[in-house]
Amino acid sequence: MKLNIEGLLVYFPYDYIYPEQYSYMLELKRTLDAKGHGVLEMPSGTGKTISLLSLIVAYQRVSSAFPLDVTKLIYCSRTVPEIEKVVEELRKLMEFYAKETGERNNFLALALSSRKNLCIHPEVSSLRFGKEVDGKCHSLTASYIRAQRHVNPNQPVCRFYEEFDAVGRQVPLPAGIYNLDDLKDFGRRKGWCPYYLARYAILHANIVVYSYHYLLDPKIADLVSKELAKKSVVVFDEAHNIDNVCIDSMSVNITRRTLDRCQNNVDTLQNTIQKIKETDAAKLREEYRRLVEGLKEANVARETDIYLSNPVLPDEILKEAVPGTIRTAEHFVGFLRRFLEYLKSRLRVHHVVQESAPQFLKDIFDKVCIDRKPLRFCAERLQSLLRTLEIADIADFSAVTLISNFATLVSTYSQGFTIIIEPFEDRTPTIANPVLHFSCMDPSIAIKPVFQRFQSVIITSGTLSPLDIYPRILDFRPVTMASFTMTLNTFNVCLCLVALSSKFETREDFAVIRNYGNLLLEMSAVVPDGIVAFFTSYVYMENIVASWYEQGILENIQRNKLIFIETQDAAETSMALEKYQEACENGRGAILLSVARGKVSEGIDFVHHFGRAVIMFGVPYVYTQSRILKARLEYLRDQFQIRENDFLTFDAMRHAAQCVGRAIRGKTDYGLMIFADKRYARADKRGKLPRWIQEHINDGSLNLTVDETVQLSKHFLRQMAQPFRQEDQLGLSLLTLEQLESEEMLQKITQIAHQT
Amino acid sequence: MASLSEEVLLVVKKVRQRKQDGTLYLMAERVAWGPEGKDRFTVSHLYADIRCQKISPDGKAKIQLQLVLHTGESTTFHFANESSALKDRDATKELLQQLLPKFKKKANKELEEKNRMLQEDPVLFQLYKDLVVSQVISAEEFWANRLGGINNTDPAVVNNKQEVGISGAFLADIRPQTDGCNGLRYNLTADIIESIFRTYPAVKQKYSENVPHNLTEKEFWTRFFQSHYFHRDRINTGTQDIFSECAKQDEKGLKSLVIQGVKNPLVDLLSLEDKTLDEGYGICTTLPSTSNANKTVKESSNSAIIKRFNHHSAMVLAAGSRKGVFTSLLTASSSETSSTDGNSRDSDFFQPPVKKVKLQEAIEYEDLQRENRPKTVALNLKKSDRYAHGPVPLQSQHYTTSQDIINSVNYIRHEMMNYKPNLTEVLSSTAASSAIAALSPGGVLMQAGAQQAINQMVPTEVQGELKHLYVAAGELLRHFWSCFPVNTPFLEEKVMKMKSNLERFQVTKLCPFQEKIQRQYLSTNLTGHLEEMLQTAYSKFHIWQTRRMMRKT
Repeated sequence: MKLNIEGLLVYFPYDYIYPEQYSYMLELKRTLDAKGHGVLEMPSGTGKTISLLSLIVAYQRVSSAFPLDVTKLIYCSRTVPEIEKVVEELRKLMEFYAKETGERNNFLALALSSRKNLCIHPEVSSLRFGKEVDGKCHSLTASYIRAQRHVNPNQPVCRFYEEFDAVGRQVPLPAGIYNLDDLKDFGRRKGWCPYYLARYAILHANIVVYSYHYLLDPKIADLVSKELAKKSVVVFDEAHNIDNVCIDSMSVNITRRTLDRCQNNVDTLQNTIQKIKETDAAKLREEYRRLVEGLKEANVARETDIYLSNPVLPDEILKEAVPGTIRTAEHFVGFLRRFLEYLKSRLRVHHVVQESAPQFLKDIFDKVCIDRKPLRFCAERLQSLLRTLEIADIADFSAVTLISNFATLVSTYSQGFTIIIEPFEDRTPTIANPVLHFSCMDPSIAIKPVFQRFQSVIITSGTLSPLDIYPRILDFRPVTMASFTMTLNTFNVCLCLVALSSKFETREDFAVIRNYGNLLLEMSAVVPDGIVAFFTSYVYMENIVASWYEQGILENIQRNKLIFIETQDAAETSMALEKYQEACENGRGAILLSVARGKVSEGIDFVHHFGRAVIMFGVPYVYTQSRILKARLEYLRDQFQIRENDFLTFDAMRHAAQCVGRAIRGKTDYGLMIFADKRYARADKRGKLPRWIQEHINDGSLNLTVDETVQLSKHFLRQMAQPFRQEDQLGLSLLTLEQLESEEMLQKITQIAHQT
Repeated sequence: MASLSEEVLLVVKKVRQRKQDGTLYLMAERVAWGPEGKDRFTVSHLYADIRCQKISPDGKAKIQLQLVLHTGESTTFHFANESSALKDRDATKELLQQLLPKFKKKANKELEEKNRMLQEDPVLFQLYKDLVVSQVISAEEFWANRLGGINNTDPAVVNNKQEVGISGAFLADIRPQTDGCNGLRYNLTADIIESIFRTYPAVKQKYSENVPHNLTEKEFWTRFFQSHYFHRDRINTGTQDIFSECAKQDEKGLKSLVIQGVKNPLVDLLSLEDKTLDEGYGICTTLPSTSNANKTVKESSNSAIIKRFNHHSAMVLAAGSRKGVFTSLLTASSSETSSTDGNSRDSDFFQPPVKKVKLQEAIEYEDLQRENRPKTVALNLKKSDRYAHGPVPLQSQHYTTSQDIINSVNYIRHEMMNYKPNLTEVLSSTAASSAIAALSPGGVLMQAGAQQAINQMVPTEVQGELKHLYVAAGELLRHFWSCFPVNTPFLEEKVMKMKSNLERFQVTKLCPFQEKIQRQYLSTNLTGHLEEMLQTAYSKFHIWQTRRMMRKT
């Protein structure tokens, strides 16, 4: 259908539309018009992605006519399947455009992923791990390797990259929609490297779909996304975890093993320098000259040299020259040694130390006379050296790279970071295992360049409640914040809050565990097909499973359904998942025991019969005893005036909502959501759940006993098993174009968006 | 000789049968006997027809051998050669002993199958009694189109019982009971043992290796229940445990499954993340020093339990669909071979179809599209509660369609509107009362309602007989009608035979029944319909016959 959204013609590739989709597009358009940032929460399964794409594509098409133009859409999602899904939806939209307008528009949209998913080199692509693929690829495509080939023709290089480098850049990628597999196909046909082709093509593509890391991790963003146009719209989908992604990309951990490996690296560097000095001293002199001139070459260097990566390169560094103390190679290696020795001495502590970055800098100056300035150039200087020494396998030098990145970060930011040195793990105080955590506490540091650079940034997800917390922790000013609910003619969600407790103090209690077991047992007899149960942590799940096993509860559950359990091994869990789906598919029914915050809870959907019930055992609080978390909470309180408890509850609730939302993936889907903990009934917890869940909580479903829950679910499931009919939905939760245009409906739609 | 090509295995002269001298021949497929001086066999039995042989006790004067057939008949041969009678008989016996089992299997299979069908289906059994035992049609004819599947020897057809899966909790069903003196008793049934074998092939292998040479069956199971393998949470104590190997094998199987990876890319957790953080970055890095050494005993036993459950469920699932697993293994191996001969890129070519389909499924919003699937009839529930709470006792009702009811209501309403009492033309009171009497139960006009009374009027044994007659007649008629259109000589022959069968049926079965009910003064109407059916068949036959005659002339 063709929609008119405040004067903008939007092609929507379906015959019907959900009211909330319309409302979503409305808010989105207002955000784009205002050239501002937005936070939009809409439950999953309401066609968020297609609404977003429809509107932004429409916006792009008319951008020449509009004064406010948008040239590019950068769509960031979390997992590879999500990325591919987005591209497929886009393809659908474009096909609809072609059908309706009768012309092929010259839109270029593509997905970008890591080398592991795009490589077509027969040897390289057969490697299993992403890191190996990257390393191998690098050893075939680095600029000096290729330069060596001129001298020595036997030097192996990647023919796909050579071909791309020779021809690929001149010919732009033909317009179209390219998913990962399409890129590979295209690459094979042309004999070009799909990865570099994609990286090159994103500069002029209309729509780019890739993972968060390409924008948020400065090490990668610097390489890939640096030159993307300013007039872009950036969308972070499934963004409820975005703060953690930001923090992760800026934090560093140093263990004794890291330092040992670093020591080896430094020794190797020393030897290589010695060798080069004897054979090719001119090379080192040349490097010295360049360093005097400054770091301008950072921009000139080839894209293939991932050496360029630097956690954060403030502008002033680029303009300055590398300080004299670390300019010669030997001096720099000596400098590294001193730094390393200092770190080693710091790790020899017997009690926990926590200090800020300035304290650390002061200490290092006092102890080993290392100044702040050379530290700041450390990362850059190391890259230059590695390049000069022509070291092929950079994967080997990850330890020294890590240390130098740490040096740069610690000397660049005086705020937002903390250093914690723990001599042992809390659980095993007898075993010395010192770790230096340099942890970022301020997610806004990593995301700041994104907000600054791009015209509009949209943060969207199914669970973003409470909405106001994201602008605060990410430090930006949104023009729109809205939460949309799911309109339904019948409630396809039955929510039960079971009055069981799993407070940290009582959760090892025998009775609590047995009650949980009984709940699961009863549900396994009532619910058809699949049930997913989430626990608060992996250790807790292990303990519960063990005691259920002893009490014979699991055996009884097995009479009803097969049991599959998430393990810490991803491959094993994948297999269990597949078997779980198979068991749901063939009618036997199965139960999956899983962990909140685990991989399953974050990335796997349980549509339709794969998840007819979700049970959340306990409230998934983060492990509060961790010092890093404590430091972060303190920081949040001091900097953003967010109280510890508020943040913890918010964090627990978003994970609970994520887990529970896994089962409902659309309006034709239905399922039970069971929160098995009485703490959920409290106002402070309930209030932090997304609106679309809150709406289903009524007093009748609060504080239920196990028996009541069973009765309620029986009734609900029987009702829901009736056929789903479009006629019942039409006019309420499903609209035709005419219905949409009626005055009354427009009135209603304005109420869907819940502004804050 | 009758058939020249047959291989003769043994010839024994001077064998008497029914007081006649003759020669006994044992051939490849049959045993035959011919009288002296004649050129043909008077006795000939296929080995397949022979159920068993009997010999006379050693001390007896007559040295005889009796062949008992499946049909119950028997033939006795008397070995009359004075010098070598015993030797002849023993030679014959030995050879038959070797030959019979070969054919027995085939015969038995068929026989068993027939037997099974008769036992499982009482109606068929009755039919068999009515038609075959009373010799209306021969047994061969009877079985001819029922046993089509047997000769195909397609196990799927013969054994069309659906395969039963395995209960997920079969291990839980083996509840140990204390026997009072510090011991446990496990009750194993054949079902449970089979479940164990099907789920854990490794145990089955151990079983066949060890039982009964090394262990008795009881010992085997005792050890099984004591083993670490069974109780995963226990710590492995000894290495002599014969099941420790099973555990290893399972582990291996699990590992190979894991390495094989998953087919559905949407559940592959390994390739979910696009870009992982490099080592050393990030907040919650896994603690690097967590080796197995400092894992507590409890932790490792916990994870063993978890592993066990995953494995158990996977195995149960696989056992339920053995065939499926097998084929998937086949396809997996075939794709593997093709990926080894090309380079590894080929594996990519196999992936996309599954992936594409899954992706398309994932982005589908079926309710947003206009429906274009075939319209299905939805259950229209007036009272959904009744649906939800199970069946209520059904009251016998006369069902009329709603259209009928509406029509009749309209009709009655119409009638009532136009009703004008015409008092001059009412019935006389006597006529009215007689009409009422006629319409009351037992009245003349109410006899038409005898339909429902038939089960009261006719004694049950007659009813049963009638039922049997119907079934038998139906069967014969089915045979008869299946001959049309008659387009082969074989069918022609069959139709003739069937016609005579029908006639015989009428004479031997139907007529006596009719007489019987006449004797009991029951309405002869009971068999009217049967006769009608037979008449239809006859007339059809006549039409066909006259036509055939015309064509011939």
